[in-house]
Amino acid sequence: MDDSENLGEMLARRGFGRRSLLKFAIAMTSSLALPPFIAQVMAANLAKAKRRSVVWLSFQECTGCLETLLRSSSPTIDSLIFDFISLDYQETLMAASGAAAERTLRDAVAANKGEYLLAIDGSIPVKDGGVYSLTGGRSNVSMLAEIAADAKAVLAIGTCAAYGGIPKAHPNPTGAVGVEDLVSGKPIVNIPGCPPVPEVLSGVLVHFISFGRLPDLDELKRPLAYFGTTIHDQCYRRPFYDQGKFAKSFDDEGARQGWCLFELGCKGPTTHNACASLKWNGGTSFPIESGHGCIGCSEPDFWDAGGFYTSLAGGSGTGWRNAGIAAAVGLAGGAAVALSARRKVDTDPDKTP
Amino acid sequence: MTDLNFLADDGLVDALTIEIADLLRRLINEGEQGAVDLLGLPLSPSCVAALEQRLGQGEITAVLDAAGRSEIRETGFPGVWWTRHSDEKGRVVAMLIEVTFVPDILRANIDDMALGCERLTGSTHVARSQPRSAA
Repeated sequence: MDDSENLGEMLARRGFGRRSLLKFAIAMTSSLALPPFIAQVMAANLAKAKRRSVVWLSFQECTGCLETLLRSSSPTIDSLIFDFISLDYQETLMAASGAAAERTLRDAVAANKGEYLLAIDGSIPVKDGGVYSLTGGRSNVSMLAEIAADAKAVLAIGTCAAYGGIPKAHPNPTGAVGVEDLVSGKPIVNIPGCPPVPEVLSGVLVHFISFGRLPDLDELKRPLAYFGTTIHDQCYRRPFYDQGKFAKSFDDEGARQGWCLFELGCKGPTTHNACASLKWNGGTSFPIESGHGCIGCSEPDFWDAGGFYTSLAGGSGTGWRNAGIAAAVGLAGGAAVALSARRKVDTDPDKTP
Repeated sequence: MTDLNFLADDGLVDALTIEIADLLRRLINEGEQGAVDLLGLPLSPSCVAALEQRLGQGEITAVLDAAGRSEIRETGFPGVWWTRHSDEKGRVVAMLIEVTFVPDILRANIDDMALGCERLTGSTHVARSQPRSAA
């Protein structure tokens, strides 16, 4: 794809008609919890959109976030969207190394000044001048400050980049922090999870390319469409919770009957994420469906929030309070967010809108 | 594992039916088309099946083969369409009740039509027999 080509032209060249794009937009508006009629606008905007430069920096991380996002691709129109971004710098994926890689980064930033998206995975160590994570002799803190300065927006991908994650866990020997602790004056979106749900990144990118801005965020800067409800409220085992039917161990009769895993330490009631609706591995399943409780990996400081197998009911503090609130909100609450939408059209069915 | 059909909820199906009837009334009286995003609701498979059964089958079913299969089906209530979009692996990526005269995705797009017109013109014997001009 050359730089003058827009997405509509690129799709046509590859044999995709505009119906494919509209279908993709319908799926994305559903995923982003936007009113269904927005799909037409999104498809039209995507067709006219130009390629968007993305610079991806990896800091104090395990590469799991990048791995899961790469594994998400399938030969569908979704992957075309990833073709539509220009991933101009990503150390793990790019062929260049050493001085050539450094030059690539400088060139990408200079050529797209003020317009590129900066994606970060991994936390940033700040203790002792940031010496615990360096790239080409430069600290993560220094690189982040320089590259974020000219970015259009910053995407903190994974719990480490969003909130410090596992490197920040007690006693936090490197002084790890999240992006938001160091970057100000820029739009930031957090896409937490260990790893994050890949479709969430797709949704954020598509929203940005379509409408030129980030989607609506919650108070922790997470996209509301994906993090607006708890795992508990979307969980197919929720009715068992309401009925007081709990598995007491992983191999008892309750577990075999698929009862609620709350007493086995499930953190679903206090965890906001889209695992229960989008699921993993192409919609196959998610941890609770596989028989294990949610560990709350998309919440700040999840690693220090008590044992994975300790029930929220047995704890104290915010976890228990939030569990109580979650219990008070029934499935009917979910039904209340029913999405319906209307738009005005000509009543003459023979006229093309 | 326990049968999960316990989520079937006649009340939810009734509520959706009332909402769809309201959307249809608005389409008839005010020209507003509407939609209900079924994947955005906490519906169990049995609840979806109950709604599908209540709305029934109409006269038109269209199959779209674009980045996976889609089925666009008019229900037993004219103007109320059940659309189910799947990706190339067969996973349902969108499921909507559309209340409209004709769902937008069935209409031909003007840019696609222009490209098709070029192809059609180029496919004639006359066009193929003409020498190509120098680039």
